[in-house]
Amino acid sequence: MSLLQEVAVGEPDPIRTPRVSGSTLRVVVSKVVRAIITLAFVVVFNFFLFRMLPGDPIGLYTRGRNQDAEQIAQLRRDLNKPLWEQFITYISNPFDPGIDSTRFSRPVWELIGERIWPTILLLGTAIVLASIIGIWLGIRAGWKPGGRFDKVSTGTTLTLYSMPEFWLGMMLLIVFGVGAFGIPGFFPVGGISTPGVDTSSPAGWLNVLWHLVLPCTTLLLIYLADYALVMRASLIDERKQEYLMLARAKGLRDAMVRKKHAVPNALLPTITLIFLSLGFVVTGAITVETVYSWPGLGLLTYEALRGPDIPLLQAVFLVFSIAVVGANLIAELLYIVIDPRVRQ
Amino acid sequence: MIRRMIAAVAAATVALAPAAAISPAQAADPVVFTVGMLNDIDSLNPFTGILAESYEMFQLQYATLLSSSATDFTPAPGLAESWEESADGSTWTYTLRPDLVWSDGTPLTANDVVYTFNRILDGRYEQRNYGSYVRNITSVEATDDRTVVMTVAAPSPIMERLAVYILPEHVWSGVDAKAVKSFANEPEAGQTLVGSGPFLVTERRSGQFIRMVANDTYFNGRPAVDELVFRVYNNPDALGQALIKGEVDFASGLTADVFSTLEGKEGITTYAGGYSGFNELAFNMGAALTDGTPIGDGNPHMQDQQVRLAISHAIDRQQLVDRILDGYGTPGSTVIPPVYPTLHVDPGTQSYDPALANQILDDAGYAMGPDGVRVGPDGEPMRYRLFVRSDSDTSVRSGEFFKNYMAAVGIEAEIKPVDENALFEIIGRGEFDMFEWGWVVEPDPDYQLSTFTCGKRSYEDGGEIYADLSDSFFCDEEYDRLYSAQAVETDQTARAALVQQMQTIIYDQVAYVVTYYYDNLEAFRSDRFTGFVGQPEGTGSLLFQYGTHSYEAVEPISADDGGTDPTSSPSPGATTAAEEPAETAQSSSSTGLIIGLIVAALVIIGLVVLLVRMRSKSAADTKE
Amino acid sequence: MTTIAGQRRRLALSRFWTQFRHDRAGMTGLIILGIFILTAILAPILISPDALDVTQAEGDRFDPPSLAYPLGTDESGRSILLLLAWGTRISLTVGLAATIISMVIGTAVGIMAGHFRGVGSHALVGVTDWFLVIPFLPLAIVLATVLGPSTLNLIIVIGITSWAGTARLIRAQTMSIEGRPYIERSRALGAGNWHQMTRHVLPNVFPLVLANTTLTVAIVILSETTLSFLGLGDPLAPSWGAILDRAFSTGAVSQGAWWYVLPPGICVVLVVLAFTLVGRAMERIVDPRGSTA
Repeated sequence: MSLLQEVAVGEPDPIRTPRVSGSTLRVVVSKVVRAIITLAFVVVFNFFLFRMLPGDPIGLYTRGRNQDAEQIAQLRRDLNKPLWEQFITYISNPFDPGIDSTRFSRPVWELIGERIWPTILLLGTAIVLASIIGIWLGIRAGWKPGGRFDKVSTGTTLTLYSMPEFWLGMMLLIVFGVGAFGIPGFFPVGGISTPGVDTSSPAGWLNVLWHLVLPCTTLLLIYLADYALVMRASLIDERKQEYLMLARAKGLRDAMVRKKHAVPNALLPTITLIFLSLGFVVTGAITVETVYSWPGLGLLTYEALRGPDIPLLQAVFLVFSIAVVGANLIAELLYIVIDPRVRQ
Repeated sequence: MIRRMIAAVAAATVALAPAAAISPAQAADPVVFTVGMLNDIDSLNPFTGILAESYEMFQLQYATLLSSSATDFTPAPGLAESWEESADGSTWTYTLRPDLVWSDGTPLTANDVVYTFNRILDGRYEQRNYGSYVRNITSVEATDDRTVVMTVAAPSPIMERLAVYILPEHVWSGVDAKAVKSFANEPEAGQTLVGSGPFLVTERRSGQFIRMVANDTYFNGRPAVDELVFRVYNNPDALGQALIKGEVDFASGLTADVFSTLEGKEGITTYAGGYSGFNELAFNMGAALTDGTPIGDGNPHMQDQQVRLAISHAIDRQQLVDRILDGYGTPGSTVIPPVYPTLHVDPGTQSYDPALANQILDDAGYAMGPDGVRVGPDGEPMRYRLFVRSDSDTSVRSGEFFKNYMAAVGIEAEIKPVDENALFEIIGRGEFDMFEWGWVVEPDPDYQLSTFTCGKRSYEDGGEIYADLSDSFFCDEEYDRLYSAQAVETDQTARAALVQQMQTIIYDQVAYVVTYYYDNLEAFRSDRFTGFVGQPEGTGSLLFQYGTHSYEAVEPISADDGGTDPTSSPSPGATTAAEEPAETAQSSSSTGLIIGLIVAALVIIGLVVLLVRMRSKSAADTKE
Repeated sequence: MTTIAGQRRRLALSRFWTQFRHDRAGMTGLIILGIFILTAILAPILISPDALDVTQAEGDRFDPPSLAYPLGTDESGRSILLLLAWGTRISLTVGLAATIISMVIGTAVGIMAGHFRGVGSHALVGVTDWFLVIPFLPLAIVLATVLGPSTLNLIIVIGITSWAGTARLIRAQTMSIEGRPYIERSRALGAGNWHQMTRHVLPNVFPLVLANTTLTVAIVILSETTLSFLGLGDPLAPSWGAILDRAFSTGAVSQGAWWYVLPPGICVVLVVLAFTLVGRAMERIVDPRGSTA
């Protein structure tokens, strides 16, 4: 979310300014420790927040079931241990395979293990494609700010960035999946593969790819808008600095140096920002997977909302946090290792 | 047309790949019947699963002693070919069919029946789903290989309705009391589960499908269909599309909107079957514990029968059927649905009449206030909390309708959407005035009727109040007396009379406003399969019944193959479900994933290398 | 003192307006906003509440656009155009309310974190970082699930999850302002913390806060739309997100009922775009570095 503000203000993050020193290892360790602490807080937060929920977790088991009061009472006694005892149990192993989803009656981590691959496939493809296209767009737009390409591109990307991704998904689905306005619906309306298709065969891959087109396009359009805007702003920033340096009496030779420096220098913050924007990416995945019935973590989250399935929600929240914190960590480490401010 | 051409080109391209899409002609492609459903099962373990979808799998996999006939739900032979109650009602004797055998060849004997029932009687976890069936049973014995004798503490009509899935002792004795809680009961790769029903589970991919194969040793004869596949779709839209595209042959549990789009489509037959479910608007008739101690904070107005009666008259049930069910349903009356014609009754005295509703409230002392909200004789305005279930679309929409109906007669209803877990708690504690929910009624009415007895109200345990079955807190001596009488009445006609009396009491007291009996909306490819059997015959659901009648009777239409017809499903690479190698959930998409990951990793590595090289180059350049 | 400061502020305001007026993108955004705000205000006057009453709906279900129903009907036969108009009120109100909460928390935290040194400041920065890093939607889902589906809870949830970006920005700005000589002088003269923060820092960050607020509203409205779509808002209130949720769950997609899906989304895009354009224009004028073209 804050990316738009980043784009508009173009200010580097004062908190994350890397240090120039030989104690790189110490810096790396400290950042890793910070990441772990962040995740620890997620676990604690998870536990206490859901205790606030009113409701008897096994209540839903017993409605419409053939059981008498005594049996239900016993079940409940088994589940209600003192709060601190439950806390310790949870904290010591949030990945306990014994934690069952109330909706699916299976271990939550097993469910997550199954559903994580489709999400990685969908997001991975979208991110890679969006990065390439978005960066290219950003470079061309940022090279001649105010020019015609820039105006059209920025207008388009701003509009795309203002769109709810699930709405774009629904519209694409109506037009290209179901068929509207005279366009026949060629793409499937959901799922990851046509039933009965062996997805480990090359024909199966093609089938999966065919199902991948619409959801991936939806996400791709939203992501590339973000990346293009960031790349553009980054490049403009970079060029200003170059220009100022050059103003201090350099010659034509340096116009060529500019090209060799400006783009790569602007590329780095963009790449790190792509990592940093994983939080934004995850948000899009949840709603788009829902619209397309793509059996990934996002759809799992939506399904967990019915009930709600507390253990599953906790686990999914943890997984998303780990992914995002991890990506942030990688971005920060990248910044330390390759810092354009380190000039000899 | 264009779609098919593009598909043909795509299919041709795909066919160039070494692993060709359509495997070379097999002697006779297996007949596959694919059912699309909207929820995945929760477990294949009959002691764990509670969803309707899971029960469908259980009854396909494991036969029961008795079944319910397709014509009218009457008890019909299952594994038992005959049964009889002793003259004093204290024992029941079931005689199994001769030569019964499990799918792995082991003989199915009375010992399996005894094993299953004793497991439930003695077990804790096993009681969850089957406790009420064995409530009165004191002992179960096998007097010989084909005879089971059960002793009951009192005459029990439920002994003809024992929906207990008989399990193979030689398989389940290996799952002890501790293991059963987490036992998934899923087949190993390439195996099928041992069972006695018409179909046997052979593969399950969670969230996607369950695959079953026909049981050659089924006592009623091997079904005409070779393979039965249940696919999971997470929204009715997708399911409707799948039926049109031929990805499934049968779509179950459709919503009215999707159902309407399917009507008239060629090759598809839509079917609105009568169903054993209803929805209701319920009242807090004086929440209390079983000993009569009042609990909760329900508005006392709800205890006035005139108020409830007026609300019943203010609701236009027909409009609800038209607008929410798109006409696929019947306006409601009593709590035993009309699909059970011998039991259902309709007094017909609570029609839609807002003028009458206003009259009743005026006469009862609820005068209209200046702001359009009536004020009761106790001086309190008629403002009530109406809870709806936030994750049910129909519940929320019903709430909107109720709010407006009541506003028209001077009652202000505050709609409060909550999730089902929370609502269950709220009801149990009596912290509500009204709510909207529904029930599905079994062929044996005992369970449903018990929810209105005084004994099924909430109870206290360790300082906390917990919900039992009663969500209306109805408590009436006469009703309880009738309930005890029907519980031990094994004469069908006499029992039916008692049940009808009980329904009338509930209706007259307006414990519920039963809004409608919704139809079960199904659609299937009538150009591919035929022979479905409704329950009740002619008007009831085709699948998800009490019994496996349709599955045993359905057969393909074309003589060649009943599998997927290439022209009707334009997806490139569509195959018949032949020779699918059993694989774990991971390997399918992970192969594509691995490729994707490698590509992504290469790209990232490449970029980093590029950057590093440019860095060192620039450093070299700027060295002056 | 006050009169001169007041005069200076009025002059700054009029200068700001003159500059803004010439910013084409900004003006476009402002006009679009004006139309929507007008709709929101006039809705209860021009449209009868019967338009929302399902028991009074006369149209057929899922009817495509016609003269009587310019944007078609929904699953209960109500006019979608009128639903949208009512929805404008809800979406804008939630957007504004949540933004206010977010800005108040964010500005307060940002100024305090930038002004103070020591443990307190570090704690604030830590909390800010935590909220920045944790992905928004899963966090919002978890919070909204616990609080329950209502409009008020939605406002709270969005407010709680959106303030961190603002806080970080304001903190940076605070630290840079506090480096200025006149602040040091005022501190030497004995100005207390509260005085410094409210009298010196706040007025200086205020223009940036304002510009940031406008951009935040855009994000907040997108968030509200998303959360309502997932069913976490009040299902009876026809906010644009809730309308899309209804469309999705009642099968508008398979019916091909594009008129149910297209208009609410366009409204969202227009409003978000409008706020973004206005916000960017404001930043161009207010941001001393003028880094964006």
